[in-house]
Amino acid sequence: MRRRGASTVPGGNRNQSGVFRPSPRATHALSVLTLQVILSGVLLGGLYACMAIGFSVVWGVTNIINLAHGSMIIIGAYITWMLWTRFGIDPFLLVPVASAALFVLGYLLYRVLLHRVAVASLFMTLILTFGLDRVLVNINLEVFSADVRAITLPYADRVLELGEIRLPYIRIAVFCMALLLTFMLHLFMNHTRVGQGIRATAQNARAANVLGIDTRRVYAITFGIGAAMAGAAGSLIAMVYSFTPVTGDSLTMKAFVIVVLGGLGSMHGAIIAGIVLGVAENIVSGLISPGYRDAVSFFLLLAILVVRPRGVFGSRYLADAKI
Amino acid sequence: MPTPKSNHSLRKPPSHCAPGRPAPTGAALIALLLLLASLLLLTGPSFLNGYWLRVLSNIFMYAVLAQGINLMAGYTGYPAFGNVVFFGLGGYVTAVLMVKLNASFGVAAVAATLLCPLLVLLVGPPLLRLKGHYFAIATLGLNEAVKEVVSNATSVTGGGMGISLPLPPGDAAANAAWFYYLFLGVMLLSTWITWEFGRRRLGIACRAIRDNETKSEASGLYTTRYKTTAWMISAAMTGAVGSINAYRMTYIDPSAVFDMAIAVKGFVIFLLGGAGTVLGPIVGAFFVESLQTLTWSKLLNWHLGAMGLIIMLVIVLFPNGFRDDLRLRSHGAPPISN
Repeated sequence: MRRRGASTVPGGNRNQSGVFRPSPRATHALSVLTLQVILSGVLLGGLYACMAIGFSVVWGVTNIINLAHGSMIIIGAYITWMLWTRFGIDPFLLVPVASAALFVLGYLLYRVLLHRVAVASLFMTLILTFGLDRVLVNINLEVFSADVRAITLPYADRVLELGEIRLPYIRIAVFCMALLLTFMLHLFMNHTRVGQGIRATAQNARAANVLGIDTRRVYAITFGIGAAMAGAAGSLIAMVYSFTPVTGDSLTMKAFVIVVLGGLGSMHGAIIAGIVLGVAENIVSGLISPGYRDAVSFFLLLAILVVRPRGVFGSRYLADAKI
Repeated sequence: MPTPKSNHSLRKPPSHCAPGRPAPTGAALIALLLLLASLLLLTGPSFLNGYWLRVLSNIFMYAVLAQGINLMAGYTGYPAFGNVVFFGLGGYVTAVLMVKLNASFGVAAVAATLLCPLLVLLVGPPLLRLKGHYFAIATLGLNEAVKEVVSNATSVTGGGMGISLPLPPGDAAANAAWFYYLFLGVMLLSTWITWEFGRRRLGIACRAIRDNETKSEASGLYTTRYKTTAWMISAAMTGAVGSINAYRMTYIDPSAVFDMAIAVKGFVIFLLGGAGTVLGPIVGAFFVESLQTLTWSKLLNWHLGAMGLIIMLVIVLFPNGFRDDLRLRSHGAPPISN
C-alpha cells in the first residue's frame, strides 16, 4: 500500500525532470528532498506510535502516567543490544524476548510498588514513577555505562530506491513491525477474555469487580503489557537509532505528545499522531535546523493542549471518565 | 515567621475555633521551639562552616520552590509540575542581564522576579483551562519548550555550553553567609506571602476553585483571574530563588537549571510537609534535603538512584505527609487523599 502511494509521486516528478532547465530542476530537487523527509518521517512515526501505545493503555486503564516509560524502552533496547553483541542473534528475533522480559518487570513493579498509589492522586503517581525512572536510569548507567550504543546490522545499507527517493529496508521493516505490534495489541484488547476484562475495568472498575474481575490483577497485567510494548519498541529503536541511558526522557515526552494528540487509548489515533509527530520532526530538523528537533514535540504539545484540550481525535473506548 | 496561635481566624470566627480538633496543648512549647529555631537560624553563619551554610541555603531554596508549588497545587489545586521553568528562567534572565548588559545583581534579580510572572500572564490563561494530568503535562511541556529555546538561542544565552556569571565580590566565607541570609530572607518572605495569601480574598477564592471550580464559577468568581494571579505569585517566588541560585553558582546551563528533578523534589517536599499548609514546605525541605545530603556524600555513582529511592520511599511510607503527625494547620480539605 505504501509502495504504491510512494511510487506514484516519482512518476509525477519524472515529467518535471524531463525539462532541462536549471530552475525547474532546483524545484524538483527540493520536492524530492521534501518527499524524502516526509517519507522518512512516516517511517519514524510508525515507531513512535508503537512506543506511545503502551503508555496510552497504561494511562487509560490504570490512570498512571508512567514517567518511567522511556527508561523501560531503553531497557528493551539494552536487552536487544546485549543479546545481539553476545550471541549474534538477529534483533528482529529479539523483539519478543525484550517484550517478555519487560512484561515480567512491569508486572512485578506494579505488584510490589505501584499498586500502593493506584487509587491515590495524580501527584503521587507522577512522583512515584519519576522516582522509578531515576532508579532505572541509574541502573542502566551502572550496568551498561553512559557510552552511546547502536546496533549495526549487516543488511543495514540495503536501500529501496523509488526514483530518487531512498528508503533503507531496515527502516521499512521496523515500520511494518511497529504497526504489526500495535495491531496485535488492538486484537488482544478487543478479541481476548483478558483484553475485554481490561476494557471493562477501564470503563468502570467497581462494576467490573462486582462481576468477578480481579481488578488488581487486571491493573498489573495492563502495566505489564504497557512495559512489554515499551520493550518491543526499545528493540526496534535499537536497530535504527543510537541510544544512551538518558535517551528515555525525551521518548517519554514524545509518548505524551502522541497520546494527547491521538486521544487517550485510541490505537489508530496513536498511529496518526505518531506519523504527524515523525513528519513534523523531520521537516523541522531537515528543512529548518536539527537543533529544534526535540523542541517540535513540546511546541506541538502546548499548541494542541491550548487549542484542543481533549486531543485532536478524542478518546475512544478506554477510560474516558477517568480524565 | 508566623506562629500557629493566631491561625484559627482563617475560616471561622475566633469565638468557636476548630471544635473537632484536639486542643493545642503544646502551643506555648511550639512557639518556644519556633523562637529558638529562628534564633539559631539567624545566628547560623557565626558558628557554622561553609559546607553547612551551603546545605542550609539549599534547604531554604527548596522550601521556597515547594512553597511556590504549594500555592498552585496545595491551595489552587493545579499541579504545576513544570514549575522549574521559572527557576531556570529566573537564572537565565539574571545571567543574561549581568553578562550582556552589565546590570548589577540587584537589578537583575528584581528583573528576573518580575519577568517570570509576565510569562505566566502570557501562557497562564490558555494553560489554566486544562485540568489534572493535562495541566501537569502542559507545564512539563512549557518547561521543555523554554529549555529548548534557551539551548538554541546561543548568541544570547550561550546555548548548551551554558553561561558564566560575574563572580560575587568578597571572600568565600562572607559570600556563603550573604547567600545564606538572602535565601533565608526569601524563604521567610515566601512563607509570609503564603500566609497572607491563605487568609485574603485571593486565597479563599483559590481554595474554592480547588474544591469545586464549576460551583465557584457559577457563584460569580472569575476563576481564570484568580488562578493566573496565584500562578504569578508562585512564579515570582520561584524566579527569585532561581536568580539567586544562578549568582551563587556563577555558572548555569540549560540542563542543570531546567532540570525536572528540581521540580519533582519541590513536589516531594510539598507533599511530605503537607499540602495546603503554611509551614509544611519548610518542614519537608529540612527533612528531604538533610536526608539527601546524608546519602549523597556516601553514594557517588548512585546519587541519581538514591534520589529516586528516597522519592519512592517518601511516597510509599508517608502518603499523607507530616501534616497529621505535626498537626500543621491546613487551609481547608487536603487535596491529596482520595
